[in-house]
Amino acid sequence: MKDLKALVSSIAIACALASSASSIAAAAQCTDTIRVIAQPRDGLTLLENYKDEFAKLSGGADFQIDYLNENDRRAKTKADASTIGKYNVYYIDEANVALFAKSGWVAPLADYYPADYDYADFDPGRQKVATYDGKVWFAPLTGGGDLMVYRKDLLEAAGIKPPTTLDEYVAAIKALHQPDKGIYGTALRGQRGSGANVWRWMPYFKGFGGNWFDGDKPVFDGDAAVKATETYLEIFKYSAPGSQTGGWDEAVGAFTSGQVALLIESTPLVGMALDPKASQVADKIGYLPPPTPLTGGGYGHGLAIGTKANKTEEAKQCAGLFIAWATSKENEQRRLDEGQFSELNRTSVMTSPKFAERYGPDLGQALADTGKVTAVNFWQNASWPDLGDRWGIILEELITGTRTDVKEGLDELNGFATDLVARSQ
Amino acid sequence: MKNKSTLPWVFLTPAMVVLAVLALVPTVCAIVISFEDRELSRPDGNFVGFDNYLALFSDRRFVNAITVSLSWEVITVGFTMLIAVGLGILLFECVSPRTRKILALLFIVPVVLPRVSAAFVWKFAFHPLYGIATYPYKAITGQPLDLLSNPLTALGTVALVDVWQWGLFFSVIVLKLLETLPPQPFEAARLDHARTWEVYTYVALPMLKAPLISLAFVKMIESLRAFDLIYVMTRGGPGISTETLDMYAFSQGFIESGRISYASGMAVLMMIATSLAFTVIWKRAKI
Amino acid sequence: MSRRSTGRLAGRAILLLAAFSAVFPAFWTALNAFKNRVDIVTPTPLFIFTPTLDNFAYVLGRDSVFDGLFNSLVTSGAAVLIGAVLGLPAAYAIARHPHRWSKDIQFFVLSLRFLPPVAVAIPLMVIWLQLELYDTRLSLIITYTLLTLATVVWLSVPAFARVPKEVEEAARVDGYGPYAIFFLIALPIASRSLIGAVAFAFVLVWNEFLIALMLTTSDAKTLPIVASELTQLGRDVPWGILNASVVLLSIPPLLFIGVLSGMLNSAFKRKSS
Repeated sequence: MKDLKALVSSIAIACALASSASSIAAAAQCTDTIRVIAQPRDGLTLLENYKDEFAKLSGGADFQIDYLNENDRRAKTKADASTIGKYNVYYIDEANVALFAKSGWVAPLADYYPADYDYADFDPGRQKVATYDGKVWFAPLTGGGDLMVYRKDLLEAAGIKPPTTLDEYVAAIKALHQPDKGIYGTALRGQRGSGANVWRWMPYFKGFGGNWFDGDKPVFDGDAAVKATETYLEIFKYSAPGSQTGGWDEAVGAFTSGQVALLIESTPLVGMALDPKASQVADKIGYLPPPTPLTGGGYGHGLAIGTKANKTEEAKQCAGLFIAWATSKENEQRRLDEGQFSELNRTSVMTSPKFAERYGPDLGQALADTGKVTAVNFWQNASWPDLGDRWGIILEELITGTRTDVKEGLDELNGFATDLVARSQ
Repeated sequence: MKNKSTLPWVFLTPAMVVLAVLALVPTVCAIVISFEDRELSRPDGNFVGFDNYLALFSDRRFVNAITVSLSWEVITVGFTMLIAVGLGILLFECVSPRTRKILALLFIVPVVLPRVSAAFVWKFAFHPLYGIATYPYKAITGQPLDLLSNPLTALGTVALVDVWQWGLFFSVIVLKLLETLPPQPFEAARLDHARTWEVYTYVALPMLKAPLISLAFVKMIESLRAFDLIYVMTRGGPGISTETLDMYAFSQGFIESGRISYASGMAVLMMIATSLAFTVIWKRAKI
Repeated sequence: MSRRSTGRLAGRAILLLAAFSAVFPAFWTALNAFKNRVDIVTPTPLFIFTPTLDNFAYVLGRDSVFDGLFNSLVTSGAAVLIGAVLGLPAAYAIARHPHRWSKDIQFFVLSLRFLPPVAVAIPLMVIWLQLELYDTRLSLIITYTLLTLATVVWLSVPAFARVPKEVEEAARVDGYGPYAIFFLIALPIASRSLIGAVAFAFVLVWNEFLIALMLTTSDAKTLPIVASELTQLGRDVPWGILNASVVLLSIPPLLFIGVLSGMLNSAFKRKSS
């Protein structure tokens, strides 16, 4: 009996030694192709030009990125992770980090993120959304809050002050809406999805004091949600064509092509609207934090280490090395050089003289100001994507007019939520 | 055949065994899964009896999907046959045999295009800003025309692509059918001073009743495969106005929540409905 | 008579319009595949522009497109091959050696077409996952064999039935056995229609979408899936690249168009005689 015990413990020690020895060796020796599933980002496309650099760094590894649009990326990462898990690196975001972490589909990033890449340098807000259950799960590629962006020229011509309250905001939209001149009051997102129409709707819901859950009990089906939805639908009457089933792309496209007077969108819009290559209104825009009482939708997307495809510690370390390299200071610097504003996440880059020179001091101030009203608007739970997507469909129906009763839609969602909570237990 | 050759057995058995296994295993498996509560991320399911089926009938989206699927069948089969017969007669009546051959070849092009390609080609053509099909409207009225994001026109617009693919193809078949008809009844009708449309309505088409019914039958079966077009063009939107049964089963089983068992229940119901309907129609039409 | 000729003129105009609608969208897509983005995203459609090969270079240079092309060729090719090897003899047996189950067998083969693809794909997803064959070319080939085999059998039965019985009878008198008759007489005589049937089966699985979408995630993704992913990227995607990938996807089926129309011709010619 004693011998047996000794034998077992000596085997355990041997195994521990072997595994640690091999992991040290592997840190500099990755040779496989790292498979990444992501949504299209200029920053990632830029990385593909530097494959040689990564091969040298890792000891011969290559990487391959498959791109899907946002809704498909969410669906496909979930389907892949929950079945066979072929991807070494997943692109995840604030809305599904809880699901991925809780299901064990991704590994805690800090264990595999080499210390010299300085994770602490990332914007604190983005670190916050990458954290679930006390651990960090992804390294940010993009993120931020909301800004209200407006056309200075149009507001001045109409003698309207940049709105600071919701009432002023709605009044300004109505006053500036001139479809016969090709100018629409605003642009919203109508396309279904927890990250699409629901995302833009949530600031109203939260701003009016709404809450998703009290413990396990859904409590969203109340006045705040009804009022938020009615306000959203009211503003939609002044929204650019194509936005009824459009998302971020359509809203940004309508604004940068000069068809929209003012809108509230995620912070990267400002970078795009200021870029003369992408925007026809680059010299005519102003921006402010969202009007009160609206909250900003805090978000962050980034790369995480898949657990199923990376069975060994070595594989996880290689994936970690790729993520660290992809989000490194050097690569952020390259993105800044290319003018990819929305791809910047590091404090050291965003406070650099080069950033100030390129985007002016105002933008930095506006970002700091809007940080104060940025909030977590969604329900921080593994089931959030399910709930949000269902509400997205109902909201899309309300927006396109195939459904008219707001309360009935919310009641239906309430039933779905109760069922969802029951099923997930 | 008098000889007792081994050939029928040797030739038939492998094919039939393969087909039977490939068809029966998934079917049985679908039925079993539909009585469980499996999810994509939780492969072990418990037996739950008819829960999935009961839940389906109180699911508003399922009921909506039935309506959408039925409208899809009616619209696409109806218009395909109308276009096929109309163009087939025109081909037969108005052009020389040589032109006929060239046109017949061109008319087959849409149907061999992958559905994904066809869907993309038309989705881009209907793009409110850069589309070539919406350009005339935009040029005349100055307003963008967004057919695919309007709940009233979206299904019709997708159906148009399906009819474009199959209607043109079937018109070639109708032409071939007309070419097989004996010329005497036509001449007799002409001698009686029948007008052209009368010749076709009262003489030619009744003679082709049986093959035309088979054609409609084939189209009904093919119309079940609406998924590719809808997936690429609208994703079931706006709202749920173009969400057919296969689209809804797909999104329940895969995209939205990975509820495989629930989606399986839907698939089983579809299987029963289509098998019943088509067997009845097939037997009726044949006898 | 003059009313007749105006009617004929109108008919021709409609046919011309239909022919235009049949070909123009494909032509327009092909044209866009040679355009730079600025020439596509214009308020007025452009017919004259400086062509570029960049889009095709990009598409062919992307690993995902190349892998998709390879997967499509392998899975469609193998499934069609198996379908033909098993299906042609079976079809011949049904056509030439009828017995009391022949009608039922034919109906069974046809009824496989009634199965909604989603009803096949969901359970197969579970089965392949459990066998750990999910997202492999092998599982896709086996699944596609269901389609190709049924199609080949269904379309080849009439082709074999049209082979004149007298020819086979004469061969039998000359001492040919039943197998020799199949390989040396029936197969060559019916070959034109049979090639059409096999080509049709190929086009069917080449174009197949839903099953591939549900049974693959990365390794075995076929070209239609890759193309559809490219088309769904969003607004900022280079439209030229999308058009180029659609063109690439459509070329193989279009190559078969002559064969398919030949099959149509022979299918209807014999009936009249």
